[in-house]
Amino acid sequence: MKILIIDDESLNRFLLLHMLEEEGYTDCYEAKNGQEGIQLAQEVQPDLVLLDVMMPGMDGFAVAPVLKEMAGDNYLPVIFITSLDDKESLARCLEVGGDDFVAKPFDKLILAAKIRAHDRIRQLTSKIEQQNQSLRYFQQSVDREHAIVEHIFNNAIVNKELVTDFFDFSLSPAAVFNGDVFLCESSPAGGLYFLVGDFTGHGLASAIGVLPVSRTFRFLARKGYSAGEIAAQLNTTLGSLLPPDMFCAAAVIEVDASGCRFNIWNGGLPSLLLKSSTNLSMYKVVSRHMALGILESDEFDAECEIIEGEPGDQLLVYTDGLMEVMDEHGKMADEEGVMSWFSSPETITAAFLFERAAEYRADSIQADDTTIVIFSCQSLEVLKEDFATNELPYSIHLTLQGRELNNPHIISSLMEMINSQPGMTLVRSDLYTILSEMFNNALEHGVLKLSSDLKSTPDGFHQYYQRRDTLLANLTEGEIAFKILFKPSESALDITISDSGDGFDVSALDEDCLTACYGRGICFLRELCESVRFSDNGSTLSVRLSMAK
Amino acid sequence: MTITANLYDDNATWVIKLDDKFDFGKVQEFRDAYQSLPEDVTTVEVDLGQTEYMDSSALGMLLNMQKSLSERSLAYKITHCRPQVARILTISRFDKKFDIS
Repeated sequence: MKILIIDDESLNRFLLLHMLEEEGYTDCYEAKNGQEGIQLAQEVQPDLVLLDVMMPGMDGFAVAPVLKEMAGDNYLPVIFITSLDDKESLARCLEVGGDDFVAKPFDKLILAAKIRAHDRIRQLTSKIEQQNQSLRYFQQSVDREHAIVEHIFNNAIVNKELVTDFFDFSLSPAAVFNGDVFLCESSPAGGLYFLVGDFTGHGLASAIGVLPVSRTFRFLARKGYSAGEIAAQLNTTLGSLLPPDMFCAAAVIEVDASGCRFNIWNGGLPSLLLKSSTNLSMYKVVSRHMALGILESDEFDAECEIIEGEPGDQLLVYTDGLMEVMDEHGKMADEEGVMSWFSSPETITAAFLFERAAEYRADSIQADDTTIVIFSCQSLEVLKEDFATNELPYSIHLTLQGRELNNPHIISSLMEMINSQPGMTLVRSDLYTILSEMFNNALEHGVLKLSSDLKSTPDGFHQYYQRRDTLLANLTEGEIAFKILFKPSESALDITISDSGDGFDVSALDEDCLTACYGRGICFLRELCESVRFSDNGSTLSVRLSMAK
Repeated sequence: MTITANLYDDNATWVIKLDDKFDFGKVQEFRDAYQSLPEDVTTVEVDLGQTEYMDSSALGMLLNMQKSLSERSLAYKITHCRPQVARILTISRFDKKFDIS
């Protein structure tokens, strides 16, 4: 411990030095006036100063504040050694920044004890300062990490304006990071998907799960998976990532292009409410499943509820933060509370509901993340523009022979090839029907030479398909060729299918789809396609599917 | 099983629920779905909520169901159709024989 003695009298300095040495303090420095003392303090950075009050030039009262100033945030104990004994002077010692005083002639015991006491305080202070430093460092690194995470979140959870325009929503996290999530994405089949989720707890730890949810949701939505399939995949993803005590209550909702038909999977969110704009009646879609990330994949139930509304009806999806607000008596608003707020006759906004909740909880703080999403039933046709078709032409040629024709996956493989092209999912249902009709026509009548006459009775219908299976299983010859051409300049998909059969009398086709027990397939093709043409005596069939929106 | 058939809560509605494809591959399974229809059933509901793909044999199966059960006076409903599926049913004028929603 370095001790600096500032005293103009050499005898005093000698006595002090001697005493300190006896107490074991050997690292001592002497200055004979204030000026010199300040200079020496700068050089040696003492741990404690013994300061005389009465000195020529700068006296102790002037020196103390300078020493304190130099020490900055470090605690430098300054002990005045004074012969003054009036209360005012002693008080002044402390007022100018001194920490203690000892009367002259000083008592060895008292002075030594005071030095030890101030040394303890000094050590404590420096320890606190060290801790403060590491706290500051920690705070800085946390701030920096938060800034990075915030950046990633902002990029990961961007909903397209084109899609969010259809929603009225309010997101109010209880902490910096939101453990609630609202995602929406246009569907390749027309329409859109949206997801409202609520992770256990709030803050960064719960918000972290939002990243994989957002990725998976977007990827599957763009591919046109059903709400149930999306929920199942999210469950698998979260199950493998999250600790066992963390999960995500969520609703995945698929809205079709009419904007009025909802396919809903609700696992653990408060009941969704569909309010009729005409009679204000409310339909509840209650949670029928456990939250995402709890069940094993094979226990998971992807069952969805389908509901339909009318244009102008409002679908409300919210997280429990909205209904779990407490009033001054500790009574929770609950689902009934939210229902009563939502039931007013006018068109309800998300902001309105949030205000009701804020009013209800009065002065108490918002305890949980609160998300409110409202979708008003309206046509979503405009979203189809979000999926452009290929700008370049392409073609698929496929020739299947003999045994190859007995493959149950022919149509699905073709579907996969065509649907992998941008914009094709919009017509996938029609395309499936068209391909299926064309292929079955070529296979059953061309290659297998089955007669549709058989299908006129229920038993015959059944026998027909049994015969089909038997013939197909033993098939060794015959051929069916597909030619599929996409022509971007004409926005059309041309499909031609030829079989190795003998053809048939094209003019004998029945025109009526309902009365005829067969030939219905051709009716479909005529309705779904821009053109349908038989050639080669009926063994080649060419159709054109228009992609114009 | 890709087709499920269950008695609805009211004990009078028999619900046959299809998966994403309602095509010739379902002939046997669909037929099985209405073989053991309980006595009290007055309505047969075919739920196509999950169905995205359909071909003409599905129409044959629906008509055959009506024919097979013709000695019982039953109401037939096709429910939860996606627009694309509803269109196919309308094209083939099935809305005249089935209550489609």
